[in-house]
Amino acid sequence: MGVMRIGHINLRVLDMVAARKHYEEILGLMPSAEDDKGNVYLKGWDEWDKYSIMLSASDRAGMNHVAYKVESDGDLDELKSRIIEYGLDVEMVPPGTLPFCGRALRFWMPSGHLMYLYAEKEFVGKAVGVNNPDPWPDGLKGAGVHWLDHCLLICELDPPSGINKVADNTRFFTEVLGFRLTEQIMAGPDHTVQAAAFLARTTTPHDIAFVGGPTLGLHHCSFFLDEWADVLKAADVLGKNKVKIDVTPQRHGITRGATSYFFDPSGNRNETFAGLGYLSQPDMPVITWTEEEIGSAIFFHTGELNPAFTTVYTEGV
Amino acid sequence: MTETTATGNYRVHLVDTGESYSCPANRTLLNAMVALGRQGIPSGCHGGGCGVCKVHILQGEVTTLAMSRAHVSKEEEAIGYALACRTYPISDVVLKVVGRMRKSVVYRYGFI
Ligand code: FES
Ligand SMILES: [Fe+2]
Repeated sequence: MGVMRIGHINLRVLDMVAARKHYEEILGLMPSAEDDKGNVYLKGWDEWDKYSIMLSASDRAGMNHVAYKVESDGDLDELKSRIIEYGLDVEMVPPGTLPFCGRALRFWMPSGHLMYLYAEKEFVGKAVGVNNPDPWPDGLKGAGVHWLDHCLLICELDPPSGINKVADNTRFFTEVLGFRLTEQIMAGPDHTVQAAAFLARTTTPHDIAFVGGPTLGLHHCSFFLDEWADVLKAADVLGKNKVKIDVTPQRHGITRGATSYFFDPSGNRNETFAGLGYLSQPDMPVITWTEEEIGSAIFFHTGELNPAFTTVYTEGV
Repeated sequence: MTETTATGNYRVHLVDTGESYSCPANRTLLNAMVALGRQGIPSGCHGGGCGVCKVHILQGEVTTLAMSRAHVSKEEEAIGYALACRTYPISDVVLKVVGRMRKSVVYRYGFI
């Protein structure tokens, strides 16, 4: 019971035509709806709910909100009281407030990012169906990503002023929403500053991550691919289409994922991510990376932080 | 300074460093710079979303694509501020770099 997985992210885009080309033709998501406000809804071929990406036209890039799906409707009542008890404002919004979803809890994370929890979303089904399915569907476009896997949010971090929203979010997500901390980066002279945290509800290494920065933001949202060769092929698709690649295919120390980062046409960072790294179980000990090894934690091969990777991001609210 | 070559390349001058490079009419100021392996304007998302490539066009004509209002307001745009990754030259250009990779107070904590 409780939170199952990331349900969707609502991204703001500066040019809807360019955004649709990126998410549909290059990432290979499938459009499932368009509403009268011009919002576009997309899903991966391996997802069964109506959408995991909601695109909204705007004059500012970034994200509006992220939503996670809980197992049953009753979980929403229980989580609501836990959130209130923790001291955060939370509102139960009626069905349809989140498009194609049932009632939902709406609240701001301690970091200031807007989050929803919902139990029901319109069902569409996987592209291969459930009766004697093929391993993958015909006609996939571009990278043919399977599903939205996780997001990484930039949270305000300023230890001299006593501000650490990474730690605040981590505490809230573990104590209230039932997430488990899988990995963290500890920085500062005595390794006492939690500068990044990776948390899971599924058995994957992370379903959400928080990284410290000067202002709250969206660092990236990530799409799942089967294996390393698919990440390489996806990067070929990006190169063919002149998509701005931030980080070419390589391995993260944290999560052990095979990864590649790039930007959508509005500058929102995307990731293609393969391999489940390891099985994250409730009794798995937390993995800690220390400040001196941050380069390897992020980019395992070079061991060097890339300044654009850690300082370039779009708005988180 | 105003001459253009037959191939539609324009000169981009950075007053900050005194350096210049060539930018084809069909490439953004930022894209042309990084394609040549040059530096001077910080390079980020190349989508008008992150703001690190903000410049002030001091001389010359440009056209721009949509830029996040989080980084260039209407008022700023009217007086020549732009994001280099969204800006195409239509003449030689002289610019000043405004954007910076965020140097946060927490850099000493090893991250971001
Ligand atoms: S590089 Fe991000 S706005 Fe230009
Ligand atoms: Fe990621």
